[in-house]
Amino acid sequence: MTANDLPASQVKRPLLARFGAPVIAGYRAARDLGRLFVDTFVAIARGRASRKQVFEQAFEIGNRSVPFVVITLGVLGFITVYQVAHQVAQILPDFSMLGAAFIQMMCREFAPTITGLMVATRVGSGIAAEIGSMVVTEQVDALKMCNADPVEYLLAPRTLASGVMLVMLTVVGVVSATIAGMLIAKAGFGIPYQTFLRFDLVGVSDVATGVTKAFAYGLAIPVIAGQAGLQATGGSAGVGAATTRAVVNTSFAVIVLDFVLSGLAYVVFDK
Amino acid sequence: MTMTAVFAPVGRATLHVLATLGGAATVFGRVMRSLFPPRFDKSETWRQLFHVGVRSWPIVAMTALFVGAIMVIQTAYFVRRTGATSFLGYGVGYSVFAEIGPVLIGLMFSGRVGANNTAELGTMVVTEQVDALRALAIDPVRYLIVPRFIAMMVMLTLLMVLGDLFAIVGAAATAQGLLGFDWRVLIANLVESHLLDELLMGVVKATSFGIAISCISCYFGLGASGGAVGVGRATNHSVVANATAIFLLDFLVGWLFTL
Repeated sequence: MTANDLPASQVKRPLLARFGAPVIAGYRAARDLGRLFVDTFVAIARGRASRKQVFEQAFEIGNRSVPFVVITLGVLGFITVYQVAHQVAQILPDFSMLGAAFIQMMCREFAPTITGLMVATRVGSGIAAEIGSMVVTEQVDALKMCNADPVEYLLAPRTLASGVMLVMLTVVGVVSATIAGMLIAKAGFGIPYQTFLRFDLVGVSDVATGVTKAFAYGLAIPVIAGQAGLQATGGSAGVGAATTRAVVNTSFAVIVLDFVLSGLAYVVFDK
Repeated sequence: MTMTAVFAPVGRATLHVLATLGGAATVFGRVMRSLFPPRFDKSETWRQLFHVGVRSWPIVAMTALFVGAIMVIQTAYFVRRTGATSFLGYGVGYSVFAEIGPVLIGLMFSGRVGANNTAELGTMVVTEQVDALRALAIDPVRYLIVPRFIAMMVMLTLLMVLGDLFAIVGAAATAQGLLGFDWRVLIANLVESHLLDELLMGVVKATSFGIAISCISCYFGLGASGGAVGVGRATNHSVVANATAIFLLDFLVGWLFTL
């Protein structure tokens, strides 16, 4: 066991090295990831993603995620409306704005972000497991031998498909959460469907923010997960580690992008 | 399309869900049998507690910082429209403590610790290390599962409290930096809002997520088969099941607290 295998806390290093090493590692990781992003987008822009692959991946990423997204966003709509209505009932029993505010929040914030996290969990770990398995069984090397670029062949179709499908899944998520919220509002608090189902607070800015977020998450997830998969080394332990890294990195990327885009939207749509 | 084509996927999905539920419940039952009376490896438990806590606190703290920041921006929309500035502290506190904080921290924990646990146990299973333990008359449940169960339950509970703290820091910094809202007023609003029940509910949610994540990730890890591909697939299934469990438990605990 060399010094590098020990946990960082057990290694005696000079003070500067202890702070510098993570910075350098972080810089290198960011640079590699940036290059992978550029390579993937260039491959997509040059039309290198095969049409058949894009549709296959769109089915895999989009259609197969529908039950998962419907269940999780439905439960989220259920619990959010239930808790908020419970609070409102204690302060001022006026439910006229509840539905409109809920639908606005869903469009702008929760539907894209929670759908993004769900896709990061399901698709991100799936891509890392798939590509990681290909790496440790030397299938990616075989691709390179055949002069097929792994980025063009593996990442470009997934990225394009995921960007489009995450926007679609977000729409499914909004509908699912709204229906669940509408049902619990009626059953638990006697709010009529017409009172709940109001879209007058949802403006162009809310929809634009939601769609931009969903599209950005969709483009980021496959590239980050793909990087984790491509870096897999050493058999089943390596594939497991790559899958774990993919879930954490893609989920965290969704949260950071959410913060950046929310902040931008707040400043841009200042009225 | 025949009837089989319509109902086969529904049936398959139902069986899949029930198998996961039953598997996780079996793991939970075995853990309980080893806990009462306590028959498990104490030193391994300490090691796991250290491992889980140390490995996941940075990502939980970072997530919480951003969650606080995001929720203060979202609440600011309502404040801007209604002019009720005193709502900012309450809105952020309520949404972070009770609802969004536990869910997002739970999802991050599931990715960091739950997925890692499935991958680790899965690797041990496919490389026959678990069989080796059995051959040495060491019960895998007492040596592997119970320490992880305790570590995840305890650590996610503690990390939730830490996360609430970091979320307040993130909210205060964003309120001051981006929205130009005095952070001292935000903190004062938050303290005046009497959110102890919500804080407690969030912590109880986190504990229940910890229990669910440990049982589900151990179930998928122990069920892994077929080399590297199998471990990857098990990890993928584990995180999906964990995310679903987090939302369902979020609803269940939230509902129990309003009774």
